[in-house]
Amino acid sequence: MDIVVAIKQVPDTSEAVDVVEIDASGRDINKEALVSKINDWDEYALEEAVQLKQKLGGTVTAVTVGASEWDDILRRALAMGADRAIRIDEDAASMDSNTVAKILTAVIIHLPYDLVIFGAQSEDFGSGQLGCMVAEMLDIPHATLVVSLQMDEGEVRVSRELEGGALELYTLKLPALLTIQTGINRPRYVSFASIKKAREKELKVISLNELGLSRDALTPLVILEKLELTPTGKKAELISGSAEETAGKLAMILNDSGVI
Amino acid sequence: MALADYKYKDVIHRCFRCGYCKFPSNWMEVNNCPAYARFRLESYSTGGRLWLIRAWLNDEIEWTDHLAQIVYSCAACKNCVEQCPYRFHDDIVDMIIAARSEMVERGSIPSVVKEFLENIQRQGNPYGNARSKRGEWVEGMGIKQYEGQEYLYYVGCVGSYDTRAKETARTLGEVLLKAGVSFGVMGNDENCDGNEVSKLGEESLFQSLAEDNIQQFKDLGVEKIVALSPHSYNAIKNDYPMFNGSFEVFHYTQLLRDLIKGGRLDISSGFDARVTYHDPCFLGRWNKEYEAPRQVLNAIPGVELVEMERSREGALCCGGGGGNFYTDFLGGSEDSPARIRIREACATGASIVATACPNCMTMLEDAVKAEGLEESIKVKDISEIVAEACLAKRAD
Amino acid sequence: MDSIYKALVEIVGEDHASTEQEELYIHSRSLGTVEPHQPDYVVAPRTTEEVQQIVKLANREKIPVVPLGGGLSLTGLVMPLRGGIVLDMKRMDTIIEVNEKARYVIVEAGVSQGKLISCLERYHPNLMHSEPMAPAQATIAGNVMIHGQGDLAQPYGFNSDMVNGLEVVLPTGEVCKIGSCSVSPYWFTAHPLPDLGLFLGWFGTTGIITKLSLRLYPCKKINGVDRFLVEDAELIPEILLKITHTEMVGDLVSSIQGLPLAVRGIHIITININGDSEKEIEFKRQLIREDILGEYIRNGDCGFMGTTPDLRTGQQRPTITTVADIKRGGGFEYVGAILPVDTYPECCREGEAISSRHDIIYTLGGRVIGRSHAMMFFWSYAFNRADPESVRQAREALHESDELALKLGGVPWKPSVYGQKLIMEKMEPNTLELMRKIKELLDPNGIMNPGNWEVM
Repeated sequence: MDIVVAIKQVPDTSEAVDVVEIDASGRDINKEALVSKINDWDEYALEEAVQLKQKLGGTVTAVTVGASEWDDILRRALAMGADRAIRIDEDAASMDSNTVAKILTAVIIHLPYDLVIFGAQSEDFGSGQLGCMVAEMLDIPHATLVVSLQMDEGEVRVSRELEGGALELYTLKLPALLTIQTGINRPRYVSFASIKKAREKELKVISLNELGLSRDALTPLVILEKLELTPTGKKAELISGSAEETAGKLAMILNDSGVI
Repeated sequence: MALADYKYKDVIHRCFRCGYCKFPSNWMEVNNCPAYARFRLESYSTGGRLWLIRAWLNDEIEWTDHLAQIVYSCAACKNCVEQCPYRFHDDIVDMIIAARSEMVERGSIPSVVKEFLENIQRQGNPYGNARSKRGEWVEGMGIKQYEGQEYLYYVGCVGSYDTRAKETARTLGEVLLKAGVSFGVMGNDENCDGNEVSKLGEESLFQSLAEDNIQQFKDLGVEKIVALSPHSYNAIKNDYPMFNGSFEVFHYTQLLRDLIKGGRLDISSGFDARVTYHDPCFLGRWNKEYEAPRQVLNAIPGVELVEMERSREGALCCGGGGGNFYTDFLGGSEDSPARIRIREACATGASIVATACPNCMTMLEDAVKAEGLEESIKVKDISEIVAEACLAKRAD
Repeated sequence: MDSIYKALVEIVGEDHASTEQEELYIHSRSLGTVEPHQPDYVVAPRTTEEVQQIVKLANREKIPVVPLGGGLSLTGLVMPLRGGIVLDMKRMDTIIEVNEKARYVIVEAGVSQGKLISCLERYHPNLMHSEPMAPAQATIAGNVMIHGQGDLAQPYGFNSDMVNGLEVVLPTGEVCKIGSCSVSPYWFTAHPLPDLGLFLGWFGTTGIITKLSLRLYPCKKINGVDRFLVEDAELIPEILLKITHTEMVGDLVSSIQGLPLAVRGIHIITININGDSEKEIEFKRQLIREDILGEYIRNGDCGFMGTTPDLRTGQQRPTITTVADIKRGGGFEYVGAILPVDTYPECCREGEAISSRHDIIYTLGGRVIGRSHAMMFFWSYAFNRADPESVRQAREALHESDELALKLGGVPWKPSVYGQKLIMEKMEPNTLELMRKIKELLDPNGIMNPGNWEVM
């Protein structure tokens, strides 16, 4: 059972909300004061992959597109139980999902895989698109927001999380791509010692050129114009009445404030 | 790891389950083990925990969340070490920590413990609060950064971030300034001392923290350290030498005692109250320092010091050690050790229970609220009592 | 299963009821040599009402109930032989009342020996109870319920003879008071009401003790200990008889062990002499030494080992626990049997032989009960818990000791199921039938600690 897991590194903003500031470019946050970590969803994805490998045998390959600091999350992936890791050496910060998807596809297409696993979304930009795009580019079936999965002969059965606790059940033929929702498992703790030990495993760094791609040729389809902090609210208004009345009142408020 | 690789394999089966580990030295209650006090099930006593650890390593039982919780519910208070009649009694807590190390290596630890450790890895404190806020407690006090002064005043994570404990950190700072002690702090550069990390079984992380701290101290030319927390005191004094970090470490009560004796602190304003002192485990049983805090309290005019029936080596742990001030395996019940301890403190007739540890401070304060005893007893750090004795003006 | 667990949680709360692997494991293991038996539930009640509710539930569902105190009898009396609910009584540990004038204490069943000792020493130093050799965690009720003996055995007998009254929960769930407490607010005497002694020695098969009143005795300030060494075992019974005639001693024990080598082969009679003054101690000591033991010393085959008058503290490092570690194995079990004192020499001879056959260093002795009315003779076998062969050897030695005790005309005390069977095989048929009738009357569904005193 060969599994490829795509992961990314994000800044840790969990307890440090008021340390978040927009940087000079106006299109990113100031990351100097922030520590980096593996994207939460990707940790669950990795754990799921490693558990599958431990049960069914096979390999797990962790892949990322990022600068050299992102080796940290690959070491963590190796420490968790991935067999090898690949980093495409490009600063993904300014790329749109489509670009990253193209790069990842160019790598994955040469790897043996029964399953390709992504986290459902990222903690920073939260687009939730990457997995779907790569699935389309690889021309394989996919399911998103997976909260449980079970392997069978040549196929995988998944539950997708909908609203209000409802679940959808699907069967996909392998090879398939899944994006993983948090809570699907309990990611194991990675000790300091095991991260050090993971240095014995293979971490390959490749350039875009080696993939036959060039930065210039990868034109983004979506361009981020501006990043703003939400204005801290000073007023909270409770709108009362029937559903129709409150909807009407709300529409008026939104219209008057210029939002719609 | 099979039982064959476990460091204490030749010893762990020798626990007779006699149960002395549950008692204080005067046998007055059977709940002197904080985890046993909370649950009163044999599995949570030291003997039960050791038998379960052996059974797990020997493949008689599987790892479960419940097993992990039992293993991690030990507050490392050393009451069992004190009371066990066997020759290997000194190793008992280490046996539990060794089992935790095994769980850490397998990655199978309770989620809150994982959070605790990952927060320290990332932000240098178990709360996961930003490093850039660690030194905030110093604001407006005129305390300087450490640059070669006589003492490094090492605050620790709880004192730097916990709201109530921060007051303690500040008050001690005030007292040291008042006494004209030459000291500095590391502010945002201070990192976790690692004591709890070590007790939680993450040896490699502890080593990394220790080595980084030692390097930092050496680079700054630190020779003497005064610690707010007995946890820091314990790690730096007893464990750092193993990584070539030897410093002269004091718990602040030892320094205050010497300052008072040497006349460098004018405590003549006094502090009128009946006070009972709660021995912190990492100062008391771990480091046998029972007297310095009492000497400080006894020196203050107006303080009537009364002892709880379980004190010194028989003291009941507040339940905050082994990371429990964060992981909270022992909370949520009137049988929580901190609540039992507060009821005991009240029974002495004291209006103040004095602490010398920021972990004890937070645990006991929460317990006072949970017990609804805010009108009967207050928790004060020794530094706060000393501060009032030297800063307040007596009304004449 | 699940609905029963839910019901138990409703009675005692989530924190004190468990079906988890870990609690079941702990309570499936004996400290001695009895093989493991797994329970289905472990609960720790706090009140008599909770015990009642649990017993009623158990009756409805026909699930065994196994009451547990300290679990230190070592003969497997708290093993859930047929599964069921282990009822850990130790949360019920309030000392209800110490009545100094009538010298008694009322305790909940789960009060530990240590807690009572500590309470009396701190608040009622003139009073003591008969403290057994068991570790401090042993419970008052458990010890009394197995007919335990303590350091007042010689003057005052079995601990079960010191009971003024009981509160019990019957197997069918009713709460019953036995003794003066059934008609009076004072729990000061068991007699003269009709004898309702249906609960002591029954190992919980007839009901669960939830409270008891225990007689307290004068506690003197000084406890002196003399050790008298005797080589010839044949002399021991008459020496003990004579010492008890003086009515001047407290605990009286004669023991012999293979280690340390310095005392191998020598019987050590430990004579406790208590007094409120040096004068009292000296008077008693003189009496024993000169009037009683003088002739033996003059005949040359006996002598005294040092004397150590120390203040009565009761909190020296425990000896029983350290004896347990002789094989560096943390395991230890003994057969104690109630025997006539004059069987002492043969008990020792056979005991040495059994120990030697099973590769265990002999540790033997007898504690005098009453004025030499009887002794509790113990054959102790340490074993290495981690070595199944060692456990097996100890188990065999224990079985042989049970058989020996009965052969010599004695009765195994707190017998394991093996010993119980031997006793019942030998027992007068009408007596056995009476036992069966009583059990059936009180426990019609057979839920109470089944497998014990199981009359065929």
